[in-house]
Amino acid sequence: MIDPLTAPLRVAAAGLEAQTTRMRVVSENLANAQSTGDTPGADPYQRKTVMFSSVLDQASGTSLVKVDRIGRDKTPFRVEYDPDHPAADKSGYVKLPNVNMLVEMADMREANRSYEADLQIVKQSRQMISMTIDLLRST
Amino acid sequence: MRAVQPVYLFDLAFQRSQWLSVRQTAVADNVANANTPNYRAKDVEPFSATLDKTELAMVATNPGHLSLEGPPVRASAVQAPRSWDITSHGNDVSIEKELIKAGEVSRDYSLNVSIVKTFHRMWMASVKG
Repeated sequence: MIDPLTAPLRVAAAGLEAQTTRMRVVSENLANAQSTGDTPGADPYQRKTVMFSSVLDQASGTSLVKVDRIGRDKTPFRVEYDPDHPAADKSGYVKLPNVNMLVEMADMREANRSYEADLQIVKQSRQMISMTIDLLRST
Repeated sequence: MRAVQPVYLFDLAFQRSQWLSVRQTAVADNVANANTPNYRAKDVEPFSATLDKTELAMVATNPGHLSLEGPPVRASAVQAPRSWDITSHGNDVSIEKELIKAGEVSRDYSLNVSIVKTFHRMWMASVKG
């Protein structure tokens, strides 16, 4: 049984961590938006996706969030005609990663928004704790 | 305990602050799980409901007896609130709503703390004369 005043901090910290992981995956996707294979007909970089799940924290009885697993996006790759490319297949087509910049940007903004909300909770919980401590201050 | 206490207000304020911190935890849960598939937002039951609950405590006939009851009002029952919207992956947390609730909790807590402070000052005034 942990102090009910610090339980929100714990939960928000888990949220912050999950959103950071999500942000990392988004940046991996963006960085590899043009990564092709290096042998003829090889598959390029496959977009990564994050899955969240809530997990019960035994100590405080709250449900924290954690990154369940990092999966791969199964949508088909884009193809481009570029016969000189090392990854081009027999008919001259190169497979490009299935990363869509707009989707990644939207995902990034959502992660950002959730992160800010978590930070706000941390701020308010800290304020509540210091209000309680201030009770001990002699006036 | 309540009957023995000459001034009931401190007990009430204590319960209120405990209820508020449980509610803050529920809000933090919802915000942390704002992107979790199939997560349903939760809220605690109203303070009046927890206050009305009677709890039977065992009588200590010997000073060596340990109290079995834990801290009161741990986890007020979780209630499914009416949400504003629900996304395709079965999550109905609205961050705006949760932040409004967090602000509410924060303000209530501040009110609670100032009441305790004021009351304590009154008490000290009567003690010191």
